[in-house]
Amino acid sequence: MKHTYDVIVIGAGINGLTAAAYLAKAGRRVLVVERRDVLGGVAAPDRLTTGCQVSPCVHDVGWIPRQMVRELDLTRYGFQEMTDGWLVAAARREGGWLTLSDDVTRTAASLRTHSQADGAQWPRFVERMAQLAGFLEALYLLPPPRVSVQSMSDALRLLGLGRRLRGLGKQGMVDLLRTLPMPVAELVEDWFEDDALKGTLAATAVKGVLQGPRSPGTAFLLLHHHVGARAGMFHGRSRVRGGAGALVGGLTAAVTHHGGEILPAVAVAAIRVREERCRGVTLADGREIDARLVLSSADVRATFLHLIDPDHLDPAFVQAVRNIRYRGATAKVTLVLSALPLLRDFKGEGQSPDRLPNIVSIAPSIDTIERAYDDAKYGQVSQVPYLEVAFPPPGDSSNARHVMSVLVQYAPYHVRDWCWDAARRDALGELVVNRLAELFPHLTDVIVDRQVLTPRDLEATYALTEGSLSHGEMALDQILFMRPIPGWAEYRTPIEGLFLCGMGCHPGDGVAGGAGRLAAAAALKTP
Amino acid sequence: MSQDYDVIVIGGGHNGLVNAAYLARAGLRVVVLERRHCVGGAAVTEEIFPGFRFSVFSYVVSLLRPEIIRELDLPRHGLHILPLESTFTPLPSGDYFATWADPDETRRELYRHSPKDAEAYVDFGQLMVRMAMAVKPLLGVTPPDPTSLSPRQLRGLLTLGRHFHSLAERDLYALYKLMTMSAADFLNEWFECEPFKATKSASGVIGTFLGPRSPGTAYVLLHHYMGEIDGVFRAWGFAKGGTGGVSEAIASAARRFGAEIRTDAPVAQVMVKDGHVQGVALGDGTEIRAKTVSCSLDPRRTFLELVDARRLPEEFVAAVQRYKFRGSSAKVNLALDTLPNFTSLPGAGRHLRGSISISPSIDYLERAYDDAKYGRFSRRPYLDIVIPSMLDPGMAPPGKHVMSIFVQYAPYAVEGGWTDAQRGALGDAVIDTLAEVAPNIRSAILHAQVITPADIEQTIGLSEGNIFQGELALHQLFFLRPVPGWARYSTPIEGLYQCGSATHPGGGIMGAPGRLAALQILEESGRARAAVGGGRAPL
Repeated sequence: MKHTYDVIVIGAGINGLTAAAYLAKAGRRVLVVERRDVLGGVAAPDRLTTGCQVSPCVHDVGWIPRQMVRELDLTRYGFQEMTDGWLVAAARREGGWLTLSDDVTRTAASLRTHSQADGAQWPRFVERMAQLAGFLEALYLLPPPRVSVQSMSDALRLLGLGRRLRGLGKQGMVDLLRTLPMPVAELVEDWFEDDALKGTLAATAVKGVLQGPRSPGTAFLLLHHHVGARAGMFHGRSRVRGGAGALVGGLTAAVTHHGGEILPAVAVAAIRVREERCRGVTLADGREIDARLVLSSADVRATFLHLIDPDHLDPAFVQAVRNIRYRGATAKVTLVLSALPLLRDFKGEGQSPDRLPNIVSIAPSIDTIERAYDDAKYGQVSQVPYLEVAFPPPGDSSNARHVMSVLVQYAPYHVRDWCWDAARRDALGELVVNRLAELFPHLTDVIVDRQVLTPRDLEATYALTEGSLSHGEMALDQILFMRPIPGWAEYRTPIEGLFLCGMGCHPGDGVAGGAGRLAAAAALKTP
Repeated sequence: MSQDYDVIVIGGGHNGLVNAAYLARAGLRVVVLERRHCVGGAAVTEEIFPGFRFSVFSYVVSLLRPEIIRELDLPRHGLHILPLESTFTPLPSGDYFATWADPDETRRELYRHSPKDAEAYVDFGQLMVRMAMAVKPLLGVTPPDPTSLSPRQLRGLLTLGRHFHSLAERDLYALYKLMTMSAADFLNEWFECEPFKATKSASGVIGTFLGPRSPGTAYVLLHHYMGEIDGVFRAWGFAKGGTGGVSEAIASAARRFGAEIRTDAPVAQVMVKDGHVQGVALGDGTEIRAKTVSCSLDPRRTFLELVDARRLPEEFVAAVQRYKFRGSSAKVNLALDTLPNFTSLPGAGRHLRGSISISPSIDYLERAYDDAKYGRFSRRPYLDIVIPSMLDPGMAPPGKHVMSIFVQYAPYAVEGGWTDAQRGALGDAVIDTLAEVAPNIRSAILHAQVITPADIEQTIGLSEGNIFQGELALHQLFFLRPVPGWARYSTPIEGLYQCGSATHPGGGIMGAPGRLAALQILEESGRARAAVGGGRAPL
């Protein structure tokens, strides 16, 4: 490590590494400092007690834009997308499963066994959602649109988006404008009648937010999580060989290939500011490193309230930072298994009848999720939470054992009349395992290890404010030009030379490296 | 073929009457056809019990457009709006929270609950007034269609764009937040006092099937401020003689301009030939002919009942079917022997002259909403209570009183349907709720009338009992209301227009839809100049 760099990137999560890779590739001398001893941020692998390596925090890093893969030449570093079929099993209240796959015709046929009408609607729904998500996709590769046009390039950008919007056609435009503010429940009720289908689709739209399927604006989230996905795939998008860890590996290689340095186990204590300009950072051990530019991939509240002396900030700005809604609502449970469990009554499809689905989604109706939300609204863990089980992709040879990665919605960060402690953590683990054991007989016999991450744990381990896996709730009032703070949506900050490059910025979570890529572009424009 | 009239207006609610008045004022031969025995629709005053007169359904005048009051000269026709300036929120703790006409007094009251909030209150008020000024012009314009490429529509968009561009950037952001946030989240950024936040956010959920934590409910916080800035003409309050007084004044103005108003004249069918409207057929078979028909009923009644759906494009019918009503409120009207006596503030003080709100906390409202989500009426509902006889003694016999209780939530689709027993149970829940803070209420009741959403639908024809003719939700506002692409009052049938609350800018006794529809009809028939006379609200 030297004393001076062109750029210091705080945090080696996917966005931090992406920003670093772009900056290093542009010839900047880049240093990435990571607090933890593993790289990857929320995608970082964790060595559980049994020696099994998994990424317990996320089982889906979201859409990995082709543009980024190309620009950073990630395939050169071993990045590879998988093409095998994807299978989702959605639980039905009366038992049995609804199978959804990335094959639209096959899914339609499977839906028809429960509802003729839903089977007929499916191809049309898939096409319409893909079309609407396509507009967001274009939006997510650009800096957020400005509300007030100040320059020719703003105008061109808006014009481009306007053209793209008009490209949807009259019906498509109306649908987009009408859909974004809708409750997801209403959206899926407009299309379908089967409870399990409506439930599992609605569930994809409430992950990570403290909103229920009947809350307006959640239809936007269904589209948001569908951006970049293959048509018909509403659960799980990143299909990287080797899982999230492989993407982290690819990005790390890209940074070092271009001469960037990455230092794990080095915590930043403060961002140094003099005369409203960023000068570098002070490390936890007291060492000072100089740099003209600092990009922080830490979340926005952590960056401004913990790393910067408030004297350097306008109180109104600090207030706006405090007003960002984080309120994590998700817990993660990882189970290490000695053998793959059986899924009750599940009959696989086609050539591999004994194959387990990639995702098991347990939301038998919209009301189940809404009731789960009701608990969380008043500061309690859902008694019957939404559970989404992912089996890490095959081909990840580092996994000697089998792993079940379970997303639990809702387990709120802000709880009432009690607090998260070891007993509560265990109780949550029990609740999840008991529920799963109803669907996976003999599950309890094969569990070798169990890790539970409550929102408090997510905050403590991964430095996620209030346990928010998206660095701030993805809600209509906290996206686009409102993200992270109205007036400061373009990665710049009131401190010259300091940029934000994490999920707290546009386009938020679900787009791997999305913010890092755009932040690097903004930083490169600084003379 | 001879025309009986230039325009037939279906429905004599306040919007139908406003529409007729403007059309008649421009010199057209207009007839209004009302199904019931009296005009007013949801804005009626009826003597339900001998000597006790009630604003049976709609009970306060909100945002009645000043340009309508002026252009139709309504005060001359008897419109008199009395102030409704305070809110009183009794609390289970035995304390209360109140806001008063005098902002300083309100601040002092806030200070008693939270010094921090008292401080924030001033800045908040200033912001809200700026926001209200920014939004108010939208109430006076026909929404442009952003999906259209016609130069006219683009011009409309540009004008709107310029209007918003003239706002300071930070105000634009605040406005965007108001449009997208929940009332609870928006208020949480400013305040901590629960009853204050709850009482404020309650106005955001009135008439909708949403809770205070549902995004999209913050916007309605503006309504009160919009009322305040309307200035000279009071836009928020009681009409003397009940809300029927407003309808009577508009009807009187319409008649003066030459409109004919027929009651007990239910329309059974809108007659259409070759895509053109021909007139209407009444329930008794009488046909009335006109080239223009302006319908103030909601889209379900209009397009699925009065018009033969086969004459409409398929997607249009589908969109009408998708349009959400979901009535969520009920009304209880009480004839009282004596005034309620609140434990937290005993006596017949001035707090009884404003609205009394049973909304002690956000959680209270949210739990009331939870009941409704699963098909039950709230066991402990939000109540918005007024005692009109306190301000207008003519509403009740001497010494007696009438009380109007707006109840939320009472879902239209209640489990088991709205039976007499269910109606009775709802009435009990309301009285029980009120008795907890005003124990003498039970013994004070002489007569009670409970109106469920099903009753609202049946009596005044509002589908699913929705008081706004369709939910005021983000995806059903402005150019999306009621049907995307058909927000400019015209319909796929030539000569058929819509002029009710289901069109922009929606419900409340605002009159704006009726007026804007009239201007649109006149413009399309080349009579714009005559009508605009008084002037369109400038952007």
